[in-house]
Amino acid sequence: MATIAAPTHAGTAAASENTGIWSWISTVDHKRIGTMYLWTALFFFLVGGLEATLIRTQLMRPNMGFVSAETYNQLFTMHGTTMVFLAVMPLSAAFFNYLIPLQIGARDVAFPRLNAFSYWVYLLGGIFITVPILFQIAPDGGWFGYAPLTTTQFSAGPNIDFWVIGLQILGVSSLAAAFNFITTIINMRAPGMTLMRLPMFTWMSFVVQFLLVLAFPPITVALVFLLFDRFFGTTFYAIAAGADPLLWQHLFWVFGHPEVYILILPAFGLVSEVLPTFSKKPLFGYNVMVYSGIMIGFLGFGVWAHHMFAVGMGAIADSIFSTMTMLIAIPTGVKIFNWIATMWAGEIRFTVPMKFAIALIAMFTIGGISGVMHSSAPADLQQTDTYFVVAHFHYVLFGGSIMGIFAGIYHYYPKMTGRFMHEGLGNVHFWLNLIGMNLTFFPMHFSGLLGMPRRVYQYDAGQGWDTFNLMSTYGTYLLVVATAVFAWNFIRSRSTGAVAGNDPWGAATLEWSIPSPPPEYNFAQIPEVTSRYPLWDLKDPAKTAGIEHSHADAMTITDAHAVPVHEETERHTARELGIPMPFPTAKPLFTAVGMVVMFSGLTFLRYDMFAVAMTVTIGGAAMLIGGLYAWLTAPLE
Amino acid sequence: MPKLRLRAAAPAALLAVALLALSACGFTEYPNSTFNHTTDFNTSIDNIFQTLVFWGTIVFVVVEVALIVTIIKFRKRPGGPEAKQIHGNAALEITWTAIPAIILVLIAVPSARTIFETQKPAPAGALKVQVIGHQWWWEFRYPELGIVTANEVYVPVGRTVSFELTTKDVLHSFWIPQMGGKRDLITNKTNYLWFTPSDTLETMAWNGFCTEYCGASHANMRIRLYTVQPAEFEAWARHQARDAVFNPAAAPAVPVVPAAAGAPPAAADTAAGWMYPAEKLPAHVVPQTPIPAGLAYDDALLAGGDAARGAQQGFLMGGCIGCHAVRGVPGAVSNIGPDLTHIASRHTIAGGLYRNDGPTLARWIKNARHMKPGSIMYTIGRGEYDPILKTTQQAGLDDRQIADVVAYLMALK
Repeated sequence: MATIAAPTHAGTAAASENTGIWSWISTVDHKRIGTMYLWTALFFFLVGGLEATLIRTQLMRPNMGFVSAETYNQLFTMHGTTMVFLAVMPLSAAFFNYLIPLQIGARDVAFPRLNAFSYWVYLLGGIFITVPILFQIAPDGGWFGYAPLTTTQFSAGPNIDFWVIGLQILGVSSLAAAFNFITTIINMRAPGMTLMRLPMFTWMSFVVQFLLVLAFPPITVALVFLLFDRFFGTTFYAIAAGADPLLWQHLFWVFGHPEVYILILPAFGLVSEVLPTFSKKPLFGYNVMVYSGIMIGFLGFGVWAHHMFAVGMGAIADSIFSTMTMLIAIPTGVKIFNWIATMWAGEIRFTVPMKFAIALIAMFTIGGISGVMHSSAPADLQQTDTYFVVAHFHYVLFGGSIMGIFAGIYHYYPKMTGRFMHEGLGNVHFWLNLIGMNLTFFPMHFSGLLGMPRRVYQYDAGQGWDTFNLMSTYGTYLLVVATAVFAWNFIRSRSTGAVAGNDPWGAATLEWSIPSPPPEYNFAQIPEVTSRYPLWDLKDPAKTAGIEHSHADAMTITDAHAVPVHEETERHTARELGIPMPFPTAKPLFTAVGMVVMFSGLTFLRYDMFAVAMTVTIGGAAMLIGGLYAWLTAPLE
Repeated sequence: MPKLRLRAAAPAALLAVALLALSACGFTEYPNSTFNHTTDFNTSIDNIFQTLVFWGTIVFVVVEVALIVTIIKFRKRPGGPEAKQIHGNAALEITWTAIPAIILVLIAVPSARTIFETQKPAPAGALKVQVIGHQWWWEFRYPELGIVTANEVYVPVGRTVSFELTTKDVLHSFWIPQMGGKRDLITNKTNYLWFTPSDTLETMAWNGFCTEYCGASHANMRIRLYTVQPAEFEAWARHQARDAVFNPAAAPAVPVVPAAAGAPPAAADTAAGWMYPAEKLPAHVVPQTPIPAGLAYDDALLAGGDAARGAQQGFLMGGCIGCHAVRGVPGAVSNIGPDLTHIASRHTIAGGLYRNDGPTLARWIKNARHMKPGSIMYTIGRGEYDPILKTTQQAGLDDRQIADVVAYLMALK
């Protein structure tokens, strides 16, 4: 931090306000990387949505025959994989990148080049895993990839190869980013920004980074086993060698369940920024919101086997995992009530982000209630692997994560671009989205409880499911329209939106004290923070005077370069201000390409192309090592 | 704020529909409903579920009403009151931590009790049925009765049936929604599931499904379960335990006329033993899968099918015995494919995907892989394209020979 925060250093960096293509390829600026995450993830969100639309079209009527069984299986596998790994997680990552340094009063993340590396690995891994669907050889083992179906004995084609290698690549991106953000949040906070003064989004992100660091190792192990089975003939999941398929399931769900909280907690964080802003009130029960987020993350590691109530674990295990799962409802319920209490006695402005935030509370509650319904193991035996579960997790992930992310996008768009998104179009998007979502997913509760299994590409008429499926499909088409409206608004508002100032919403946290879009150096002078709501203290001290959090901190850190919280309205370049910025560099990209090439060499192994495989792998490895060497020996700034 | 009220009304209306659906799940309208108390297992699950719905509804109403009241009451109005700067309230927060905790205890206790109740070993005297999963069909064995059949399982009402679940290949899951919860078939592991169909049940047919994704034709792996009266079960079981009723060695046997196109097989005569009467099959268990286009077969040939010739030249020499068993026929002992000893006493073929009638069987034999994605049964019709091997079958059977095989299979009552 010393080097970055010290304005006395001579400006040695060549950072410029360049906007050419090379400036994006070589950028190490967390804001630009966040922007690239946002665009890429939104693109994959459209891809995943298109896959969902094809799925729903196939299921519109009984025995439809719109796509083949094989194509359908690829579509549902890729819909899940895309939405989880390529859309929702990176959408959260976009906000981590953009917001965490701004919210904690830092000039960048701890490791700017590692940050660029994370993005490039994500982009290349996403391409690697997505492109096969254009050739009808996409992964088709489900996003959960249960062994032994995914072993070569039952999936001989290259489909699963893309999945197992692709996820391994994406895991590197997530882990690198997680370590980066943990270091950033611990080390780079502005003076006075104690942990209990962190904005709630940063807090929830902090929890998520630990979940990532702890959840990805188990799936990495599971994937390495599968990868070795597929390419090198090991027998971790080979049934003829006596493998226990539950090995995969346990490893996968030890990752898979915390993954749910990885997907939802950032949305909770975003909503916790939006609700106070538009209620003109501080977040109700800040401490409890922090603790409940930690509790959710902690308990999330003790409930994985509730995905496995039907596998025959025995009554004792079923009871324990049932009860543990129910416990999660408590911290989650606390969050919901605290959000409502945040709005209580406020002055609520129904802006588009606020509407999405309120919708999250309303919709996530439904997903939470159905979640408690299948936390009860006996009830789950009827519900698991039916459309009831599909309804449940879409209320959680669409009604929760996606609503929260949309709230975040509408809320932070003015900060990122300097312009508002169009309010009218935003409202159209909101209402179509809310109605479309309920029309799509609510009927699935019924089709599931009335006996419709998941992952079926066709079903007979007269099973009592026809109407519900038709409704779901129409709902999906409504969501397509909603998303088109959003995409239009998102793209167009960059040039036509109303101009937004520093603090268009009257928000309370540091990111709103600097110009929109923020200059490359973020803060010309690092602010010294004395409260959770520094901007409200500054602009309307009477409002926050009675609040406990604002009292003078006995432990206040005094930093020679820090100045009291203030608004910065002038734009300069880092060079003018003498702020050293990291050099732009394409070495992280080069290294990421090397890694992906190295991994992709494996795919040739199963086709007796040993020479090709070795050439590609060794070539990739050489690139990776060379890139790393050049990167690590080049100075940061 | 009419918009807000609209939003308030939507989930409430949907909830009302939900409760309506729960209370009035008509059998004919919802033939795979999980709410009917047809077995002890199903009843204990539904009792739990009703508790969950009860508390779930209360929580839903409390949260959504609180939310809606808040956003209406505290919306910003010109001249309205200023926001009160409240930052928390320990008593309130403890309250809304404690109340959900109490509700969860009320759910957890009966859940745990039901878990232990339903996972006890099956009571003594239960009918044992082995369920063996295959990609993509079900093998059912009654070890005490010497019966092997496929995709269709008969159980007497009033007697506990205990399923022993294993799989030959990947994971599957055994689920008959009207009978109770599901249980996975795990490779290299044996699982158990038991229930007692209520003795007040009439003779009835139910649908079952594979509910663990198992590959290309996961959707095409279906079960028909018949709950029948004890006497009917006896009659069925006695016949199923016999060797094949048609012996190719003693040919020519009774002339066998294949069923007319589209019609289910004719009602079994006494010699064929008892089977669930075709004419009484409820619509929901009759497969409706259309035969994919591009598979031509002249149904007129079926009338000339010769069962004895079909057995000798088709079944025994045409390769069928490589996978299929017919008890009583020497050499036909393979268990890769479904046991065909009493194939004509089943209402469906191909994992419950198609009706079991002459025209469908003929097409199935001709090109199973065209009719069921990923099918292990290879394309047999001469000149037919095999979509998995991506070659045209050069040897195989011609349409005339297929008619003979169909005649033979239809004789296996």
